[in-house]
Amino acid sequence: MTRSLTTRRPVQTAERDLVRCAQAGEVAAFEQLAGEHADRLYAVVVRLVADRTEAEDVVQESLLRAWRGIGRFQGHSMFYTWLYRIAVNESNRALERRLRHGVATPIDEESVQIPAPARDGPASQAEQEELRHGLDTAIASLAPPYRTALVLRDIEGLSTREAAKIAGVGEAAFKSRLHQARLKVRAALGDAALIAASI
Amino acid sequence: MRALRRRDDHAWSQEHLSHYVEGDLSWRARRRLELHAEECPDCSSGIRAVRALLRLMHATADRSGAAPASIFDRVRADAARGETDVDQARET
Repeated sequence: MTRSLTTRRPVQTAERDLVRCAQAGEVAAFEQLAGEHADRLYAVVVRLVADRTEAEDVVQESLLRAWRGIGRFQGHSMFYTWLYRIAVNESNRALERRLRHGVATPIDEESVQIPAPARDGPASQAEQEELRHGLDTAIASLAPPYRTALVLRDIEGLSTREAAKIAGVGEAAFKSRLHQARLKVRAALGDAALIAASI
Repeated sequence: MRALRRRDDHAWSQEHLSHYVEGDLSWRARRRLELHAEECPDCSSGIRAVRALLRLMHATADRSGAAPASIFDRVRADAARGETDVDQARET
């Protein structure tokens, strides 16, 4: 279930050229470089902060940090890994701010989209809708490190190695978080509902 | 194999279903879980539930959602400020 990012080789030539130009202060090069990952980056942040408006703010801030810090990017990892890590850290800061201000995690109705099969009847659609909302709530209730693990690995489909690098932990610690997160989400949704939805 | 079976197999299996599905268990641990699941409807349906959860989460990936056009606004503003600063420094 991992996506094509796993097949990329570290810092390809075109990317390296863009990095060099961005490091020299060419904003167009930076936009091209980061723009290639913008849609997926935004999707990840929407999952992490569960709010599209806040996600837009977090992505803007992440890109600003990346732009200002591009001189420190040395190409030892893929550019997107470096960029995602900045965005994950920025998302966690946003969640901490929200906690400090006692704001409950908003559940953005559009943040989780389960494609309903075309031949679904009304009852099945209602069940899907309930499960969709349940999944949203369960993910939003996870502590940030567990949410990050689940979003990067199970929703975004990154490999364990990539996701652990982005989360800033070792693979063993990452796996532990992932299994705990799955256990919590499964408990929240219930086995019967999950199995019924998959039939 | 019977030696592998323990009284706490159920609680242990429930906590390791995700490890099992992911392939993160040793051969011995995998057999322990499989032997228990053969006799335990909760754990055998738990395995199906974990697989269903993974499919469900994968299906929710927002692949078509485009990032808003505004995401580079702060970068552009910062870059423009930088250029202005350079111009002002040249003038002085």
